Amino acid sequence: MRRVAIVGAGMTSFGEHFSRGIKELIPMALGEALASVDKGMDRRDIGAAWLGEVGTTDGFGAGILADSCGLLDIPVTRTENACATGQDIIRQAIYAISSGHVDVVAAIGADKVRDTSSTSTFWDWMAQTRDMAWDFPLGLLAPANFALHAARYLHEAPATREHMAMIAVKNHFHGVKNPKAQLRSEITVEQVLQAPMVAEPFGMFDCTPQSDGAAAVLLVAEEHVAKYTDHPAWVLGFGLGIDRVMHQHKRDMTSFTCTVKAAKAAYAMAGLGPRDIDFAEVHDCFTAVELISYEDLGFAERFKAHKLVEARDHYVGGRIPINPSGGLKSKGHPPGATGIAQCVEIFEQLRGHSHNQIDGARIGLAHNIGGPTAASGITILGRQRS
Amino acid sequence: MSISVGTYLPPWGTSQGRVVGYDEDALTMAVEAGRQVVDAGGAVSRIVFVSRELPLLEGGNSAPLLAALRLPDTLEVVEQLGGAPATLDAILAASAGTLVIAVDANTPAGAAAALVTGSSPLVLVGRAQRSLPQRTRHADGQSFRDDDPRLLRESGVRASMLSLGLQEKPVVIAGLNARDAASWSSAAPPALPTLGASSLIFALALLIEGSRSGMVGAMEQATLSVANFDAAGSTVKRHEPKAQKPAARKKAPGGDIKLSLAAYDRAFKSKVGWHAGKCTACGLLSTPPRYHCLGCGADDQWELAPLPRIGSVYTTTTVHVSVPSLESPYTLAVVECDGTDVRSLMHVTDVPAGQVAIGAHGRLVLRRVAIRTGVPDYGHAFSPDAVSSQEGGAA
Repeated sequence: MRRVAIVGAGMTSFGEHFSRGIKELIPMALGEALASVDKGMDRRDIGAAWLGEVGTTDGFGAGILADSCGLLDIPVTRTENACATGQDIIRQAIYAISSGHVDVVAAIGADKVRDTSSTSTFWDWMAQTRDMAWDFPLGLLAPANFALHAARYLHEAPATREHMAMIAVKNHFHGVKNPKAQLRSEITVEQVLQAPMVAEPFGMFDCTPQSDGAAAVLLVAEEHVAKYTDHPAWVLGFGLGIDRVMHQHKRDMTSFTCTVKAAKAAYAMAGLGPRDIDFAEVHDCFTAVELISYEDLGFAERFKAHKLVEARDHYVGGRIPINPSGGLKSKGHPPGATGIAQCVEIFEQLRGHSHNQIDGARIGLAHNIGGPTAASGITILGRQRS
Repeated sequence: MSISVGTYLPPWGTSQGRVVGYDEDALTMAVEAGRQVVDAGGAVSRIVFVSRELPLLEGGNSAPLLAALRLPDTLEVVEQLGGAPATLDAILAASAGTLVIAVDANTPAGAAAALVTGSSPLVLVGRAQRSLPQRTRHADGQSFRDDDPRLLRESGVRASMLSLGLQEKPVVIAGLNARDAASWSSAAPPALPTLGASSLIFALALLIEGSRSGMVGAMEQATLSVANFDAAGSTVKRHEPKAQKPAARKKAPGGDIKLSLAAYDRAFKSKVGWHAGKCTACGLLSTPPRYHCLGCGADDQWELAPLPRIGSVYTTTTVHVSVPSLESPYTLAVVECDGTDVRSLMHVTDVPAGQVAIGAHGRLVLRRVAIRTGVPDYGHAFSPDAVSSQEGGAA
């Protein structure tokens, strides 16, 4: 199979883009990605494109990508795999390239969460991810969906709400330096703990904001990489894990089984283990999700994620920096774009250009989890080819 | 010649009496009262459901009632609009095996069921069907009320009572306020928790518990039925948890929760009757039922099997933010049924939000999960044991 590398990456700022539609955000992200290619790339080099988009704000996604980016003569596919959409379109791009069908793929993620009112958006989207007869009428909102895991985790593990709060504090601290981040202000543990309750144990500051935005990466087959850059980010491994869709069927809710499966596949492909990862962008839609994911990704032993937090190992400069971009919590979370934006951060870290640069960043991991905690996508990128 | 009586009072109340929970209606209350009798093994061959608050005028209340009581869908169900006299008449006319369930869903709320196990223990003394529509309610739900209590007392209650030419006063009259009940009963009348359809059965329950036979009356505005009641051999089982102040909930404006009627139909039997799909090849239980057995791989070989309606909380969360068309805060729980490894996600009911911890044990009870595009969506909710253990009496 042909190896694949990312040669260009770009994104819009994340936040409330009331004045811009998806038709503007998608070409903005692609334009920035093309401009980031060291030796330049003509958009006519792109042989296929994927759009990762969870909601449909302005209609037919694949056509909008083609139409708004001037890519009318190539195949374009829209993919929705809940909040794992970002890593999943990278996976599909890699399939296309490594199979030999295409040499250059644009993987673009975009969503406009703020085109609908802040109270109704996720309720509307729930209809896409819940059993219509059994779960939908119960009001299993996205925060509640993850809170059921968090409550059980706090019941069994020594971790507390303070540890969750420390994750929000860390991600805001990182996000202050990120010019693309939505919430660029530091917060305190007390502020997190005293914020209004959303779905126990999540207060408002345990939750990601609602965001608009787009992000794009350009993936290229190994023999064409040198034409575009001498400093690519090589795809070392990837994995997509799926779990039972109803919470009642998840036997152990202190862990996200889909993440465990995705990580196993990605590590096996890369021939790497958790200790080989220098830093990671971890899906922190809610603070406890990042905490539990430390264990599912192998960065901490079972029920010991709080120790990693207490040691501040997850800060830039620590043993395993998590979310140097600010994470979903500070940077923002337009679901289709989220995973791609994680890879934008990793691309920049590996090339030594991040706003929040980690010394010696060689290998980074991007992680998404979404839907009814039933889909996880992981991509491992490295500075070296292997 | 006896009846088995079951009663139910919602665990919410004010000085005006019991108040239905936000997730209750006359049907869920009928099931609560009916289960007191049916779960104890009473053999039912026919149901008369008496209420002036039948949830649906068109669309049917009978099927969910039978499903939730786990009775065959071949039984006759009479949906009877009426108050206390209608309930008395229904029991009078009942043959053995008839379950009369009477529900009042307006305050003061309550429900009671009476399963006739021989011939009816009531014998008619007299009946007066008279018109004095002091309160009216129309098909569109609009109601009107005349504000002259003396008119009802004189031209209604008094005139109807006298018209029967009774030699003595009844021992109890259902459907009357405390003052009128005192005037027209033979001794200090017992306080009844309701005034409508269910009040007659609540009155019979008191007589049974006091081993007292005698004349009972049932009144609704100016209409009256009177019968002699023989309490011998009858039994009462009450589920009347202590009343608490109704929890404050906020309903956010917004569209209603979409319904797929096809999905409703597919889930109906297992959801309303609380049944798992049981693989006929390997016995694995699945909720909801599944086509492909994850135990043995058999395809489409399953039957519905009743699940225990008790269980404990595996995990829980309380949602505080407002959600369009739902009332917040509300508590969700993943509940594991006793003696099985079957779990289900459901709402917690009968307690204010946020009062159930992991490990809590309770009953699974039928509640109206939502109203979706005009359809009451019934399913099971978790009622913590702490509710049932605080029986509060009839007040």
